[in-house]
Parts: sequence; C-alpha cells; structure tokens
Amino acid sequence: MTRIALQLLLRRLLLAIPILLCVSALVFVILRLLPADPIAMSLPPGATPEDVERLKRDFGLDRSIPAQYFIWLGKLLTGDLGTSIFFRRGVGELVSRALPATIELVAAGLTLGVILGVAGGLAMFAKRGTAAEQAIDLSTTGLMAIPEFLWAILLILFLGVAFPLLPFIGRLDPAVTLPPTITGFLLLDSLLSGRWDALRSALAHLVLPSLALAIGLAPLVMRVLRSSLLETILEDYITQARLRGIGERRILIGHALKNAALPTISLIGVQGGFMFGGTVLVEMIFAYPGLGNLMVDAVRNHDLPVIQAVALIYCVLVLAINAIVDVIYLAANPKLRAAS
Amino acid sequence: MSPRAAAALRRCAQSPRVIVAAIILIAAIAVALFAPFLAPHSPQDQDLINTLLPPMWAVGGDPSYPLGTDTLGRCILSRLIYGARVALYVAFVAATGAMLLGAALALLASYFGGWVDWIVSRMVDIWMAFPPVVLALILLVGMGAGVNKVILAIVLIDWTRFCRVIRSEGIVVMKRDYIAAARLSSFTNLQIMLKELLPAVSPLLITLLSLEMGIAVIVEAIMSFVGLSVEPDVAAWGVMIADARQTMNQAPWGVIFPVFAIFLLVLAFNLMGDGLRRALDTRLLISRGAA
Repeated sequence: MTRIALQLLLRRLLLAIPILLCVSALVFVILRLLPADPIAMSLPPGATPEDVERLKRDFGLDRSIPAQYFIWLGKLLTGDLGTSIFFRRGVGELVSRALPATIELVAAGLTLGVILGVAGGLAMFAKRGTAAEQAIDLSTTGLMAIPEFLWAILLILFLGVAFPLLPFIGRLDPAVTLPPTITGFLLLDSLLSGRWDALRSALAHLVLPSLALAIGLAPLVMRVLRSSLLETILEDYITQARLRGIGERRILIGHALKNAALPTISLIGVQGGFMFGGTVLVEMIFAYPGLGNLMVDAVRNHDLPVIQAVALIYCVLVLAINAIVDVIYLAANPKLRAAS
Repeated sequence: MSPRAAAALRRCAQSPRVIVAAIILIAAIAVALFAPFLAPHSPQDQDLINTLLPPMWAVGGDPSYPLGTDTLGRCILSRLIYGARVALYVAFVAATGAMLLGAALALLASYFGGWVDWIVSRMVDIWMAFPPVVLALILLVGMGAGVNKVILAIVLIDWTRFCRVIRSEGIVVMKRDYIAAARLSSFTNLQIMLKELLPAVSPLLITLLSLEMGIAVIVEAIMSFVGLSVEPDVAAWGVMIADARQTMNQAPWGVIFPVFAIFLLVLAFNLMGDGLRRALDTRLLISRGAA
C-alpha cells in the first residue's frame, strides 16, 4: 500500500515537471504579448528615456523572449523569483507571505464544503423518492447558479453588513497583534504560541471567505455522493448485509459509504484545484492578503514578475492537490489496496 | 429528421427543466433585443440629484426609477436591461467558440488516436493545471482588456471542458461496428468524422454547450467585476456589482439586482443543460461546476 502510494506520488512528480515547464513557457509568451508597457507605468511622470532604458535593462526586458525565459528559469531554479516592478520588493518575499494565507483559506473551504456536501448527500439519500429529495435537488441547482465571488458579496451583505455577526476584512482584527511568525500559517502560529485571542480572531475571519468557497463545492459533492450511493445500494453485498439483519443506518455508514465515496473523492480532487481559482476573487472581495489578492494587484499594475511567479505557484498547488487526492483515492479504494 | 431525433426532441420539450429554462432564456433574449424600447432611461444617463434611490416600492423610491439608481443616479433597471445584451452575447459567442475548438480537437484525437491523441491529451493536461480564473487573468493581461478579448479568453480556456468529455465518448464510439462499416465502404476520414462520429457525440455536445453558456456568463461577470471586460461606457452586470459594492451598506439593492440577474440567467442555462442531459439520455456527466 505505502509502496504503491509512493510510486504514484513519484509518477505524479515526474509528470509535473514537463507540465510546469510548459505552463511557465506558456505564461511567459502570453505575457510578452502585452500591449501596455509595465515600465512606463511604474516610472514617475518626469522620467527621461534614459531612465526607461535603464529600468528595462534592470528587469531584463531588453532581451529576446526566449533569452528572457531562460534567464528567468535559471534564476527560478536557484530560488530567485525576481523583483516586483510595482512593489519594488522580492517576488519570493511577497509570495511567501501570501501563500500560507491562501492554503489556509482553501483548506478551510474544502473542509467546510466536504462536510456540508457529505451531510447534504446523505440527507438526500435518506429522503430518496420523497418530495424532500426533489426540493433539495432543486435547491442545489439554484445554489450552483451562483459563483463563489457572488456568494462572497452576498455573505458580506447579510452576515457582515445587515446582521454584523462576523468580520469580513482581512485575516485578523486590527486590535489583535500578530502572533510570532513560526510557520507563516496564522492558525498554526497562534496555536503554537498559545495566542488564543489571535486564534479566535483568525478563525472568525476565515468563516465567511471559506463559506463562500464551500457553497460552490457542497452541491457538487451532494449530487455525486447521492448518485453513487444509489448505485452502491443495489449491490449484492448490501442485500447480504440486510439479510444478516444489519440496520439501515449501519449499512449506509459502515458499508455503502466507503464504496460510494470513490467518485466523490475524485470530484473533490478536480474541484479542489478549481477552488484555488475561486480564491482569487474571494480574497480580493474580503481584502484577504493571499495569493489571489496579490495576483489581482499584479494584473492591475501589469507587474509581470509577480504574475509569472504567482501563476506558476497556482499550477503547483493544483498539481499538488491532485496528487494528494490520488493518494487518498488509493487508500480508500479496496480494489487497489488488495493489489499490494 | 429521423424518428429517433424527433423522439428525443419530444422528450426535451416535455422536460419541466427545459421548459422553465426556455421561458427564462426567451424572456432574457427578448429583453436584450428590445432593450431600447424596454429601458425607461439610457443606461448612461446620470441624475446627480437622485443618486442611490431605493426601488420604487421602498420608502423614498421614485416610480420613474423602478429599481432605484446607483451612485451616479443612473437607472438600475435600464442598466440591467442593457447588461443582458453583454451577458447573452458573451454566452452565445464564447460557448460556441469553445465548443467548436474543443469538439474539433476531440474528434481528431478520438478518430486518429496515436500521436494526435497524445498531443491533444497532453495539451489538456497542461491546461488543466491552471485554475481557469488565473489563466483568464493572464490572457487578458497579455491581450489587453475588452469584451471580445474576454470571449477569446473563454474560448482558449474552456475548449478543454468539451475536449475531455467528447474525446472519451468518441473513443467509445470509434469501436462500434458502423464506423468499421463506413471505413469499408470507402468513406473519407472527414466524412466518417462529420457524418458518423459527430452525430453520435452531439447529444453530449448540446448538453455541454448549454452548461458552458452559464459558465461564460459567470466569467464575463468576473472579468467586468475586476474591470477587464467592457468599455467604461457599457453597462454590464459585473460592473454594476463592482460599482454598487462601495455603497453596499446604504444601498444594498444596487448589488442584489445584478446578482439576481446573473443567478437567473446561469440557472436557466444550467437547468437547460440538466434537462437536456436527462432527456437525451447521455450517460451521467458529472457537472464540473463553474469558474
């Protein structure tokens, strides 16, 4: 089992390398189509043509595109992500502060979405064939017609403005001092340093943005789980369990759910990757200082080094989540487990 | 029309989902087409004395602005009506474009197999590594903003949604006897692809097209929300939401109406896709959701 999982991870890793090379080259070429001049935008009004030339040289923008790409790639391999044109700071520094925030947000969103989705899927299954199932089915169709960024706005409107229960700006209350940085993950750092006030504030700030992401995921999980439960329940081993006198609830939780979970797990893999895309606007709307906010700022200012780096990191995250879900799938799949 | 196609069409017409969706879509198309006659004001007319009016049924509402006004005193109803034009234009053009590109590559891949299939599949792998929103932002930075650029970006991103599904369906179809029969009766490759393979995958294609239109509406809304889509003088729902967000605590209606408009249109496309999928009996497609 562990050996198969390791092989799988290794294969995923080997596949990821060419994909990431292609992705980075693609991003590089697309960004060089740019009609606007990022240098001109970052200079003060009185700048001379010499200033422009010097800055272009500093950022390597006077070379050919393939040359620029290989310089960038070479630096990347040594861990140097370049310098932001707009922020005038190291891209690595900007990214390393934003990345844990985004991972925390997606982890919270995924957890919440899976909990809501599995609960909803089980409820739909339990009420199968009744009007209640139809009603839930119809409301999932409705829920799916609203994208994450609109949920973000609606949640702020109702739970932030109309009934101000939860904070909706940033990661932490301004009155709370930041816990010491140990891992960069705010929740973890607060926990490790025993800063309960920071932990409470950080958790409260996570609720609305992660809920906005979760409402997008939950209906999909519900539907897939329900339809695979409906298929599983017809299998012979379920009938056998019934004949042995095992209660319906135990059959569902102890027997059917395990097998029916597989399609749901693959769905979560795909959607987990998409959720990183969803964070872009959700972070912007909640002024949550993660990768998405950094990306939107970079896009608005044509900050090419930042866009390049953040795009690549998003792809790494998507591939990573796919690999993790593959391993979970393997661990949950009795057929593959038996093979080892 | 073959009897089978006629029966399928009848099943579609009887599906409540398809009927509800068709009603909403026909209404939306009519609103977009007749916008100049329906809108009480020009979508750009500012009335700086009557800014942030509530809808006419609320206290302080003005009947000449049925859904109220925004920060510049522009009529929200009129902007919603004109916004439908942008949303539907992007939905139809972008989704059709993505379908043509995705289906063409999928047909080539499933028909020829071998290295053609290998290349197409690797391209899909690379594209799938991007969260779609991130790729859209990068493309719009590279190509510059604008509504037609948004359409191009959607085509260049979402062809994979068609390609993945149609390719695997096409590979199944290619194993059928009638394809072999067509080969034996010296059909050309193009003939087999267009006359045998394409009709076999078309129920799936139509279903995906409908879902993709909903996705296109959302992507356009996102891009106009961040200011990368329409020109500043064009009313689009995403722009309305972005503008009204600043004054959301005094005037929540400015946000709620365009959100509702997006919801209704996307719902219609999703219901249509869902209804068609059931009526055309395409094997359960797992909806991959939006953005």
